[in-house]
Amino acid sequence: MAELHVIGQLVGAAGFPHGRLFCKWGLHTGGAWRVLSGSKQGQTQVDDPQTGGTAYWSHPIDVHYAVQGLHGWPKMHFQVWHQDSFGRCQLLGYGYCHVPSTPGHHRISCATWRPRGSWQEELSQMFVGGGPQLRSPDVIYSGADRYRLHTEAVGTVELELGVIMRHFDKYGVDA
Amino acid sequence: MASPRTSAIREKLRKQRRSLEETLVKLKHERDDEQALVSSSRLSEESLQTAMKEAQSSEDDAGETLKRTLRAQRQMRRKKLLEQISAQEFPGDDVEEISSARHLSDDEGSAKRTTEPPRTILHGRGASPQAPKSRTSQKFDRFVTRRLEEKLRAARSQGESLQRQETSVVGASRLQTLRERLRFDREADSDGDSGPQLMPRAAGARVKFQEAAGRAEKERPTTEEAYNFFTLDFEPEPEEKTSEKGRKQRESGEDGGQEEARQRDEVEDQNQDHNEEEEPLVQDEDGNVFVIEQTAKDFLEVRSAEYIGLRALARRHRALVYTPSARTVPTSAKLPENVRPRYLEEEGLYVGERPAVTPTNENILENRILKMEEGAKWFGDDGRITALPDPIKESSTRPPLFHLEEDLDPALQTVYRKPLKSKHASQYIAGAADPEGDYQLDLDVSGLIFSHHPLFSREHVLASRLAQLYDQYLSRQRNNLAEHLTDKLNGLRNTMRNMLEIHSEQNLSRAMQQRIVEYSAEIKNTRQLRDGEQEKDRMLLKNLIKVWKELKALREFQKFTNTPYKLYLRRENVDRTSDEREYEKDVLSELWELEAEGEVDYQRKMADYRRQLDEWKAWRRKQKSKKKRKKRKTQDETEEEDQGASESEGPAEEEPPKPELPQKLDFDAIEQQVRQKASRIRRKPGEAILIPELTASGSISETELCPRAEVARREDVARRAVFVNILYNDKEVSQTNSRALTSDFRVHFGQIFNLKIVNCPRSITLQVFEEAGSSCSLLAQVYVPVPNSSVLAANASVEEFEFSSNQRVMFDHDGVGSDVPLSFAAEGSDNVILLTSGKVSCCVCWGVGEDDVPLAPPLSQNAAALHGSAGHSDAISHIGPSGDMKKMGEWVTQSRLDPNDPKNASIMQLLKVAGAGRVTAPDYFRLEQLQEEFNFASDDELARSRRFRLLALRSQEVPEFRNFKCVPSHEREVTDKVFQDYEKRLKEGEIIDTKEYLDSHRALVAKYLQKIREAVIHRFLLASHNFLLSDLVIEEEMPCFGGAHLQRVPDRHLREFSEFLEMRSPKPIEMTGRAELLMILGLNLFHLAEPKRPLKPQRKERKKVTAQNLSDGDIKLLVNILRAYDIPVRRSQSSRTVVAGRHPGRRLARRSGPGEALRGGLLPARRLPNHHRRRAQPLLERGAAAALSIDGTFKVKTPAVLLGYSKERGHAHGLANAGAYDAMRSLCQGAFITLFITIEPQLLPGDSIREKIKELKFDSQEDERLLRAAERFERTASAEFPGRPCATTVVDLNGKTVFITRYIRPLNPPQEVLADEPQESTAQVARFVSLIPSLPDRVSYAGICDLWSTCDQFLTLLAGGEEEHAVLLCNYFLFLGKKAWLVIGTAVPEGSSAYVLTLEHGRYLIWNPSDGQVYGQYDTFCPLQAVGCLVDADNVWLNIQEQASPMRISFDVSRASCWRPFFTRSFPHPGLSSVQPEELAYRRSDKATAAELQDRLEKLLRDKLMEWRPHRPTRWNRYCTGALKHILPTLEQGAAGGGAGRDLAEGHRHELQNLLGDNRIWGFPLHMAFSEMAPVVEAVHSTGVHTIHAANAEFALAVYVHPYPNNVLSVWVYLASLVRASRDE
Repeated sequence: MAELHVIGQLVGAAGFPHGRLFCKWGLHTGGAWRVLSGSKQGQTQVDDPQTGGTAYWSHPIDVHYAVQGLHGWPKMHFQVWHQDSFGRCQLLGYGYCHVPSTPGHHRISCATWRPRGSWQEELSQMFVGGGPQLRSPDVIYSGADRYRLHTEAVGTVELELGVIMRHFDKYGVDA
Repeated sequence: MASPRTSAIREKLRKQRRSLEETLVKLKHERDDEQALVSSSRLSEESLQTAMKEAQSSEDDAGETLKRTLRAQRQMRRKKLLEQISAQEFPGDDVEEISSARHLSDDEGSAKRTTEPPRTILHGRGASPQAPKSRTSQKFDRFVTRRLEEKLRAARSQGESLQRQETSVVGASRLQTLRERLRFDREADSDGDSGPQLMPRAAGARVKFQEAAGRAEKERPTTEEAYNFFTLDFEPEPEEKTSEKGRKQRESGEDGGQEEARQRDEVEDQNQDHNEEEEPLVQDEDGNVFVIEQTAKDFLEVRSAEYIGLRALARRHRALVYTPSARTVPTSAKLPENVRPRYLEEEGLYVGERPAVTPTNENILENRILKMEEGAKWFGDDGRITALPDPIKESSTRPPLFHLEEDLDPALQTVYRKPLKSKHASQYIAGAADPEGDYQLDLDVSGLIFSHHPLFSREHVLASRLAQLYDQYLSRQRNNLAEHLTDKLNGLRNTMRNMLEIHSEQNLSRAMQQRIVEYSAEIKNTRQLRDGEQEKDRMLLKNLIKVWKELKALREFQKFTNTPYKLYLRRENVDRTSDEREYEKDVLSELWELEAEGEVDYQRKMADYRRQLDEWKAWRRKQKSKKKRKKRKTQDETEEEDQGASESEGPAEEEPPKPELPQKLDFDAIEQQVRQKASRIRRKPGEAILIPELTASGSISETELCPRAEVARREDVARRAVFVNILYNDKEVSQTNSRALTSDFRVHFGQIFNLKIVNCPRSITLQVFEEAGSSCSLLAQVYVPVPNSSVLAANASVEEFEFSSNQRVMFDHDGVGSDVPLSFAAEGSDNVILLTSGKVSCCVCWGVGEDDVPLAPPLSQNAAALHGSAGHSDAISHIGPSGDMKKMGEWVTQSRLDPNDPKNASIMQLLKVAGAGRVTAPDYFRLEQLQEEFNFASDDELARSRRFRLLALRSQEVPEFRNFKCVPSHEREVTDKVFQDYEKRLKEGEIIDTKEYLDSHRALVAKYLQKIREAVIHRFLLASHNFLLSDLVIEEEMPCFGGAHLQRVPDRHLREFSEFLEMRSPKPIEMTGRAELLMILGLNLFHLAEPKRPLKPQRKERKKVTAQNLSDGDIKLLVNILRAYDIPVRRSQSSRTVVAGRHPGRRLARRSGPGEALRGGLLPARRLPNHHRRRAQPLLERGAAAALSIDGTFKVKTPAVLLGYSKERGHAHGLANAGAYDAMRSLCQGAFITLFITIEPQLLPGDSIREKIKELKFDSQEDERLLRAAERFERTASAEFPGRPCATTVVDLNGKTVFITRYIRPLNPPQEVLADEPQESTAQVARFVSLIPSLPDRVSYAGICDLWSTCDQFLTLLAGGEEEHAVLLCNYFLFLGKKAWLVIGTAVPEGSSAYVLTLEHGRYLIWNPSDGQVYGQYDTFCPLQAVGCLVDADNVWLNIQEQASPMRISFDVSRASCWRPFFTRSFPHPGLSSVQPEELAYRRSDKATAAELQDRLEKLLRDKLMEWRPHRPTRWNRYCTGALKHILPTLEQGAAGGGAGRDLAEGHRHELQNLLGDNRIWGFPLHMAFSEMAPVVEAVHSTGVHTIHAANAEFALAVYVHPYPNNVLSVWVYLASLVRASRDE
């Protein structure tokens, strides 16, 4: 039985307009994937970079999958949030990336985007915070009609993933 | 204007040259032979050299480059200098010379022009002062060096030849040669000269160098060389040379009559200079170049910016640049000659719109193209440039987003969220990222209908059956599947017929045949479906009528009606003839189809038959030929061989069976079948259509008219009421009003509940309760699915959920009951068993907020949407690959699949058929067909993988695998053995092992406890994943005193369980002011001044060590025995106290403690009393006690009879002289020992799991308000009186929070323990309670929480903690009419515990429920150390007195200053019902079991004792044993009887002493409550009786088990060792 072990960390995020970032992440797979151990979603702490623009989380990711079929290769999705000085949280960006399909160590930087609201919303966001959020965060990784959304690019989430594959060759998958 | 300096330089130069010349001459001599060839071979030689040079230059290394640069710089410097000189001295001459030289080369390539730099350089070099200076470039440098090197060589040879020739004409010829060489150089270098572009400056000069030019022309370069020449960049190096030459010329001119040799000298000098490039240039000039003083002025020159006029530029460009005109090109020019333009548009062909280009641009383009080679091919037939149609779309492909909100897919909609702090600390809607989290579920419980109820009368049963059938009929009618299928069938038949008619049989194409086959298959299939449906319809109708008839019969029989139902059958007459025709037609067409099918089948069979026949025949032939061959063989060979052969061949080939001819179809039989079937399932032709109509219009008979049984039933019905409890995530949230049951067993609630939720919805459960009088019982639970988040109030529909209950109910009246066989037939043959069942109609949807915002969590949070990625649009992701019909149906309705789209036909068909009827859907339908193909392994294989299983179990934290460290990486290394335990546990969960428990009941209880333990541990694990900030962040608090806490709480987003995330808002940061800080410092300083040795030393806090840092054996148990009272003394033994650990082999520490009372006294070598030891140990092990030490006075449980020990009464009396003390002491006889026990090193208390558990929040059925109040009460209590235990809510065995007063209720003790005298029965009851084995919760549940079982549970389990004992005792006391409270407090050694307080004759007595001991309020030895609160059935009082010790407080709860009640006037007792049963039922004491247990125990102990003495024989004194056996029952009586029995026992002791005569005897009876074998064995072992070493020691052992009601057993073990007195003395 093929296995996929994803070990790594959410290193941090850069390029966001605010500091004090935290990130909610999750792994989405198809039906042929079964988690043997490890958590497939989580949330990082809030990092407030004092120097430089990069927030570092170093949040561990360790998921072990039993793979029944390649369908629905795991992808990671992120929501980067900002906690302001009043302790309020607002969304800064959504993003997703695939877990690399080659074994080894990978550095991934995942670009994120943010839905854009109407000008009133933008205005109020500027002054009082908050902002438009997706009603269904599924859209992050499903490509349904996303062209209808107005979005803007925000920053990037940096990932370091080590991918260990096992027995894929037994099933004719060159790893 | 020759300055003296320049002349000096020149002079130097000359000298230099001369010396160089000399050296050169030497060189020349050496090369004489080569020189002969010079003139003829020069060219080739030169070219060869240059070729080499080129190769060299191409691979120039860095060093070389550097060298060259240096050289070039030198050159430059020198050049500048010379330039200056020349400019000053001989301007005119110079120019002439050079220009002529230029002209020479100009001739060479005058036709071709390339670039202009050379020209500019010429300007600069020569006359024109405006001309720019040549720039030094790397390339140039290289070039120069190369050139110079070559020049050197050439010059050498030339110099020689010139010498030889001795020509007088210096200027021209020399120049000539020079130029020649120069040109060759250039050519060979393929670096063109700038010559060609040079504008002739002096016409005269041309004539002068005519000859040279001619000569040059003779040696014209090859084409390739020429090409290179003209295409390469030109560098300004020639000027340099010319300038040098010019200088030479100048020099010659200056000197006037200088000879040729002198000139040559110059050349040589030059060459020499470059030949030896290592020598710096300065040497050349005697190092004087840089010593020149007027530097800047000499070397610099101010010039205006370089500018070439526009016109000049244009003129210059004219030759190079072509500017196409912007004029329109005539069409004729663009088309081939004599071709007229052809316009495709006019011919009616479509011509796309051309991209827009301005006409000017187009003209320019055309003009340009025409000039090109094959330019005409760019033009189309119409004379315009061919162009593709304009690719730019008018409108944007991306749809405009004007109506952002309306059009957007709901999945894509964004919502503006304000940045808000999360209100809910533990927001369990994972990933919702919604700080508001205000979701609302609207639950509309509209009503419920019983399809069966125990109170149904027979008529009701039939009526409900009728109603059900009618419902079914209606729903079938609505779907009208039979009709639908009939239509389809007819359509198919028509198509088929048409097809066959149009195409007569002969010209059926292959495709057509195929289609016909398909059609007939389809027809067959549809026909079968239709037949099934029709049959069902028919059956339903028949049943309906049958039930109705039964109902009517019943009504007639019982002579009253209970139900209002009436069934009308409406007849709808049909046209008989047309109906018959239709019928016939249908039958015929079916027949025809069957025939056709039969025919096809027959044909196929025939074909098969023929094939088989052929095979068979072939086989026969083969056999025959074989036989023939064999026969032939036999003629040649022997018989035996033949036989052998035939034998060997015979069995090898079996004779294939001769095929049978298939039978022709019997059409008559088919017809008969068809007709039979038709008559069975279809209406007969001409028969009227029956349409049943059920109405509830009938009247119900008045109660007066009914028989008595029915009246009773109706009364019972009227008494009943039904209500529904609503449980959200297994927590009760609401309750409907209770509605009375009506005669039609329909209940209407019509209540809508708005559930504001925070936690992710997991389950919504409706509990249907039935109230009969005051008691209510749970009928059934209905699980309502959590709605999809798109289900809002507007689009939700009321759904019916069926429920049923398997409760058995029987009545003595007419109610049919439930789970009771019921028969309608007279003879009782067709029994039916009806269970209570019904339907709840309710509707669950998400609420809508004020501004029409749905208060639903995002889609993905829905548990149903496991695959849910794309939502509605993607069927596969929505339903999953399995193709669940229901899900698919949902999806189809949600996605509004177009039913008319032919693409969807198959799905619609499938849904219609599968959804409506009970037709099984074809199982090959799968949405994601390829999923399985791409799977690596099947689900089975995956499930079988042991490794994966192991991993999964480990991550689930299944106890067996929780701490499994290394999971092998190979499947084969994971043996099945690993799972054995786990599987065994799973499998044998129900099997009870009675060996250990002697009693199946106790085994069951143990199993049950085990289960509870697992549940608790599971909860604990959950809690341990629940991190608090203090778990993650350790912040050393600033040492401070007073209220100021400098605390910085960082922001955090903590991980909760693996799946849940929690967002917490940071607490405000408290900053301490400077003043406070100073105060802290001051206080600290003050502490320095404390006395070093205080008068009253306190125990100091020792350093705490975390458990991780300890290894096994690091922990020591320190026991300090401070004093002991009333210890029985055995004479002639040394004094020692041994404290042994729980395990005999592990003595933790031994310390003899000197105490006042121990002085001169003796303590028997025995351990702490059993129950103390058992409790103290875990306390220490876990460090759960806050103080981590036990300090207090323990009562040593003294055996009733102590053989060989005596108390020092005198001493005790001496103590007791202080009046009141004696009075108290009389209550609590026994020995006491004061101990201080602690562990070294001091362990950090385990993580405060209790707090976490509290965070977890147990489910509760209590009122939310009450729970909140309880929480507040406890919080204030712990804030005001830290360390004073206070309990208002406790957790019951089901893990639910229950208010504590619910446990208190007077309960009857067993009759056996009640005595006539109240005093005695009090003691008896206390004893009975203490006989129930104690099982501290904290031992079994690892300090997680106390689970409180109710008294009946406690008596069933026969095990429980102090709380259970206390509750039971308190309840018994209440029953006995005493005033009793439950005391929640701290005691030694249990820690937080529960005692019972009674008020008797104005005195408060404190009862220890675990051992039945009673203490007065002022008893110093009372183990209860602190009183936290008192509990009775109505209230909880918190002790708000300054002291907590029972001695120092008042127990008068009416005093508001001493006790704070929970329920006050402002918050009155809401009338909480008790969780305890009304009455306790006891099983009679079982004497037989007790006797059996007694025997087994005795045998076991005997064996054990012998086992413990492996090296010595164990002799048993039968006589003594008999005597002991006799004594034990009296001891039991004595213990039960209280003080009176004690004297009795004393008497027996004397008796025993007398009996045994001269034997010395030690020993004592052990008494304990029985739970299982092991503790008894251990207790016996711990007495140490077996350790006696005397050789002639004999033993006596007697066991007595006294049964009490409900299997409570009191076990007595009398163990004695005897030593013959004669030996001893």
